[in-house]
Amino acid sequence: MRNNAQRRAGTHVNLRLRRASQSVNWCSVLCAALALLIATVARTADLSISVLDAHGRGVAGLVLVAMPDNAAARKRIGRVAVMDQINMQFVPDILVIQTGSSVDFPNSDQIQHQVYSFSAAKRFQLSLYAGHKYPPVVFDRPGLVTVGCNIHDSMLGYIYVTDSPYFGRSDAHGQLTLHNLPSGSYTVTAWHPRLEEGSANELHLRTTVVESEPGTVLFQLRRTVPISMPPHESKKWLDY
Amino acid sequence: MARLLNAARTPTHCAPAADRGVRALAPSLLLALLALPELLAVPAAPAVAQMNDLDATIDVRAIASDGERSYLDGGLGLLRFDENHQGLRIGELRLGYLGQFADIVHVTVEAVSYADGDRLPLDPTEAFVEIRPFPYLGWRSNVKIGAFYAPISLENRLQGWRSAYSLTPSAINTWIGEELRTIGAEYDLDWLGRQRGHDWEFGVGAAAFGWNESAGTLIAERGWALDDRQTTLFGYAADLGVGPTHRPRPFYWDIDRRAGYYVDGNAKYLDDLELRALHYDNRANPDVYEPALNDYAWHTWFNSAGARWTPAPDWTVISQWLQGDTCVAGLLFCWQYGSEFLLGSWQYGPDLLSARYDDFQTHADHPAFIAGVEQIGHAWTVAYERELAHSLSVLLEAMQVDSTMPARLELGERPGAVERMVQLAVRWDINIYH
Repeated sequence: MRNNAQRRAGTHVNLRLRRASQSVNWCSVLCAALALLIATVARTADLSISVLDAHGRGVAGLVLVAMPDNAAARKRIGRVAVMDQINMQFVPDILVIQTGSSVDFPNSDQIQHQVYSFSAAKRFQLSLYAGHKYPPVVFDRPGLVTVGCNIHDSMLGYIYVTDSPYFGRSDAHGQLTLHNLPSGSYTVTAWHPRLEEGSANELHLRTTVVESEPGTVLFQLRRTVPISMPPHESKKWLDY
Repeated sequence: MARLLNAARTPTHCAPAADRGVRALAPSLLLALLALPELLAVPAAPAVAQMNDLDATIDVRAIASDGERSYLDGGLGLLRFDENHQGLRIGELRLGYLGQFADIVHVTVEAVSYADGDRLPLDPTEAFVEIRPFPYLGWRSNVKIGAFYAPISLENRLQGWRSAYSLTPSAINTWIGEELRTIGAEYDLDWLGRQRGHDWEFGVGAAAFGWNESAGTLIAERGWALDDRQTTLFGYAADLGVGPTHRPRPFYWDIDRRAGYYVDGNAKYLDDLELRALHYDNRANPDVYEPALNDYAWHTWFNSAGARWTPAPDWTVISQWLQGDTCVAGLLFCWQYGSEFLLGSWQYGPDLLSARYDDFQTHADHPAFIAGVEQIGHAWTVAYERELAHSLSVLLEAMQVDSTMPARLELGERPGAVERMVQLAVRWDINIYH
């Protein structure tokens, strides 16, 4: 009987200890996470990138990517981007996405399109379609993917696939601000199909992000860049 | 002149009746050509994509004209509508079909009615099958079989081979619409350089065709004109009654059973510039006489070149040049003909404003009093289009054609003529089936 009572009492003690231990563990995890979050926030900073042409004017539409040297900072965030087809043009005509993301290709035109790419970074074909017929296409390798329509050769779109999670396009003033970049060294890249400077239409600059200190990078171009043509083909033009 | 021209057609004998830099291009071209049979083959188990698109255009016009009696009405006026054909008119009633099968097979049929008493109330201007595989290593083959336009016009870009900038196309593209049609097969090979990161794209093509031995007749008997009336496949080409020599001439007639050809090339720089050049020769035997037509085969050949420049997103500049010869009756009668035009167009939102200058001339190598016409002239065209809705637009066009043609004397008219025409058109595009 006694032994039984001792065993029961011991069991209660063990249960209390285990519960106490669990409480301590949860507290540890939460505290650690909070500390990490605080540490992470504290160790980041914003990076403002400017692109100016030879006349000092902001250049819009350039793809801008900040690639951290530290591979651990290149966390993947899979997203779905959209490249529509409107008035026989890809809209937007340039997308920048992270490796592993997907792109949806709806066709908002009245006529059908036949989208394809034979770029090394992603080869695919979407048979003739209108509306929203196919699931998003996954881009699982970094690189430049040029997309076209086999019916309308004038349609041309670019998808810039990068391993970095820090990217965007310059606005009308030639500006892009990337937020909360972990401190460390970065290679900042500017790209556009008609940027006829650098190698493969790319320019690179090195910079270091220091925690809590907003950084700036300036791409000073030597010439004026003829950026994307706005939609002009409002009619059902054909290649006769 | 007419009697002499007809006399000249009296037969003397009757003959019996196709990654950068050059280093990167060569191997990929070789691979593309080696893969050609595969490219041209329809996949054995294709993802069956099929599309049938049927659309129509209704074009109604109010016309004011002081033109000389039109060649469409037995005169030597160079406009479609003369002073006897003003008021409310049908510009065109168009029906277009585009079918796409097995992903790479496309069928196009374009038919039109001008409501002016041609042989059929609705008649095709084009009907062809196109095999267009996906590009391979940046190269793409394309085959067309049927009846279609040669790749000459940089102006006629709308469905149905209509001008995208005005109601009336240039003199060059007027003539192509009247007398030229490829009834045969065309092969094109394109290098899609922009897909490979280059700024340029190139293409070459060749075609073999028949049934086009009447091409040149209108040039010889009327000279150049400016109108938007395309000859239909089963309609009359030169019938339209040029002077007293009015006579029906079915478009599809094959007189000498000999195939003609053309070869062409094109280059594109980004979205900014497109260049085209083409050499055409119908290889007609001008010795062959066709009693049913009371005419010979017309040996017609020419060179053409053109450029379309987009200096800014809303600006377009187009220029085309064409120069050639046409001979008949065993090379007894030959004409040299040439034309060029310059077009500028500005798009501002839904408004499109265009202006064009045409210059044209026809010269007989034989004494002009024996047969046909000599002609020299130029034309100004100004057009404004307002897009009222996605499928509805209104167009206003004014043109003036100055021409000198001694042959008008035989019709009791002065050789020199200044013809003016203003057209106000309402154009409604209807998607019937999609």
